Amino acid sequence: MTDEAPFDAVIVGAGVAGALIAKRLSKAGLRVLLLEAGPATTRSFDGYAEHVERFYGATHKGPESPWPPAIGAPQPDTGDLRANNGYFIQRGPHLYGSSYTRVLGGSTMHWLGVSLRMLPEDFQMRTRYGVGRDWPIGYDDIAPYYDQAEYEIGVSADAAEQDYLGLKFSEGYDYPMRRIPPSYSDQFLASAVNGMDFQMGDESVKLQVRTYPAARNSMPRKSYRPVGAVDVQADGTQGDVYLGERCEGNTSCTPICPVQAKYNAGKSLAQADPTTLTILTQAVASKIHVDAVSGEVQGIEYQRYPDAGSANSATHVAKGRVYILAAHAIENAKLMLASALEGPRQQVGKTLMDHPTIYAWGLAPKPIGAFRGPQSSSGVEDLRGGAFRARHAAFRFDIGNDGWRASTGAPDTTVSQAVMKDNLFGSALLQHLEDTLPRQLRFSLAVEQLPDAANGISIDPRFLDAFGNPRPVIDYKIDDYTLAGMEAAFAAAQAVFGRAGVTDCSDPATGNWFPTASYQGRDFHYHGMGHFAGTHAMGGDPDVSVIDSDQRAWEHNNLFMVGSGSFPTLGTSNPTLTLAALALRTADRLIAGFGK
Amino acid sequence: MSERLESFVALSALLTGFSEVQLWGSGVAGEHLGVLDAVLAANIVSDLIDAFERLPADDARENAIATTILADLRLGPIARNLIILWYSGVWTELPAAWREAHGASPLDVTRTTSGAAYRAGLQWAVAGAHPPGAKHQGFGSWAFEPKRRRA
Repeated sequence: MTDEAPFDAVIVGAGVAGALIAKRLSKAGLRVLLLEAGPATTRSFDGYAEHVERFYGATHKGPESPWPPAIGAPQPDTGDLRANNGYFIQRGPHLYGSSYTRVLGGSTMHWLGVSLRMLPEDFQMRTRYGVGRDWPIGYDDIAPYYDQAEYEIGVSADAAEQDYLGLKFSEGYDYPMRRIPPSYSDQFLASAVNGMDFQMGDESVKLQVRTYPAARNSMPRKSYRPVGAVDVQADGTQGDVYLGERCEGNTSCTPICPVQAKYNAGKSLAQADPTTLTILTQAVASKIHVDAVSGEVQGIEYQRYPDAGSANSATHVAKGRVYILAAHAIENAKLMLASALEGPRQQVGKTLMDHPTIYAWGLAPKPIGAFRGPQSSSGVEDLRGGAFRARHAAFRFDIGNDGWRASTGAPDTTVSQAVMKDNLFGSALLQHLEDTLPRQLRFSLAVEQLPDAANGISIDPRFLDAFGNPRPVIDYKIDDYTLAGMEAAFAAAQAVFGRAGVTDCSDPATGNWFPTASYQGRDFHYHGMGHFAGTHAMGGDPDVSVIDSDQRAWEHNNLFMVGSGSFPTLGTSNPTLTLAALALRTADRLIAGFGK
Repeated sequence: MSERLESFVALSALLTGFSEVQLWGSGVAGEHLGVLDAVLAANIVSDLIDAFERLPADDARENAIATTILADLRLGPIARNLIILWYSGVWTELPAAWREAHGASPLDVTRTTSGAAYRAGLQWAVAGAHPPGAKHQGFGSWAFEPKRRRA
């Protein structure tokens, strides 16, 4: 074991939160060490191209398919869910259906790019609706950092279109790029649906199809230059790359944008100051050393391995003035627990959340151009907020542009059904597919989940990975609050289908396999959205939280925990933009602290 | 190119509904025949091509291939697999009864046969679209009304 030269900051994890903090601190002249458990294959254009090739050849093209884990940095794979034999030890009663990626860039390598802000009411669930818990900060506190995050990651949207449920923007503000053009499918739905009333209990809600803010490059506003593909040179600076400055409609945001028109955290790292930022990849943080009296972190132990196939590693200790865990909601909690740091009232790892999501799918009355464009470009956001949240969960629609790919495995399954079951071939087969595929429409209905102390990640010495690090043990239950929200979401989808003349085909028996949860005698087939949250929640005092509103650990003055693990509640927005805004806010606090 | 490959493409055109020119243009005709040759015993592939060669050369062909090849217990599953291979770039594991009767192969597992086969899948063209991650249609193309495509 060797000690290394001290840094101002040691960051664990090269995902979006770690990358944004590394960029900002390094540009402020602070010496930063960034430890990443996975490999750096995404740093070069050629390395990235190999991931694209791997995706092309994969039989199952799930979120993980381009991103194979290293032996020393295992990761969950949704393909392991059915047999429940993956990286997670899942104790139920429900299966946690999400995954993440351990590679330089983290899960932004495979994310969809949805960059919604949280609603003002999302920060006050306890005060306004008597459920969940309040955040220690409000929308107005985070709003300036939403502005910054939208420029840092490059979000395309029109602020004027995002005017709903109390969302406000600062005077004169607009997103760095114009909205992604709505798909023909979005336009079809909007013309049928916009302005329709939907009854949520005793509230009548007007629905509207809106393009959502997306971290995908579109037409820039003013002097903004979209950031394309990463190709870091030997001296650590980014090469001259123009590819990826516009979305090209590859319909492959998840699991891999082949041109990197979608944001990934590698872009932020490529913009960092290479003279002050040191990146160590294939470096698995394994233990946090803490001073028993002061609680201050003294170093972070990490295991460096020579290549992705290696089961051997050498152990080192990284030292800095402050330490920032940005390894992911699960991995942050795991690392703390592996270091016997359970947080105030043993809250580390507790209140794990996700957005359990169900699909609704149907056939449009005419061709709507399915399988074209970004995987989705619009949603229905009007049911994300309202008084009904006192009774059941809120939700949002993501309106797919990729037919029934996610829900049934189309077009492959449409073809195989026609050939194997219906015995079609030749011109009749071609005609059938031509009539069917372009009409396929799918909604994802992502439902809010509240914090529950019984849901969480823990460790167990019986379950270790190849490097001897603990594998996450997951306890997870989807409660009636969320299931009632699922029921309402499905009813809303049916109402929208009916209004638009879409024939509902959402028969789970014809869809892909998904885990089920029962509610009032009805089975919901749900999947995870990858929105891990709540495992080291922030709060106003240590009785109810692990970290404060600056994301500083209550019990460790020089330790920060960032990412969606910090969220007290999850709302209905995809968490990346909010965790990015929080990370930038923490970076500013750190810089101010170093200046003192 | 071999006569065998030419026959294979003509057979594939009849099965898929695409023209021979389109199938040649896909660039994966030889690769697909190679998949059959690797998975199946040589006499099965040659019997399939011979059965195709014996079909009437006129408009009755489509009906004839249904009653001869597709209805045949030995050749039918191969022909249906071939359709899916062309459309989706996927080889489909043959039914257990077929494997028992005509021989199993370790290569007879459901799988994308190659990245090229995936990208060449006819299903994307039929949809008026493109394989995800490849052959992108350009910024904003998705906003236009889809045009019907004729094979």
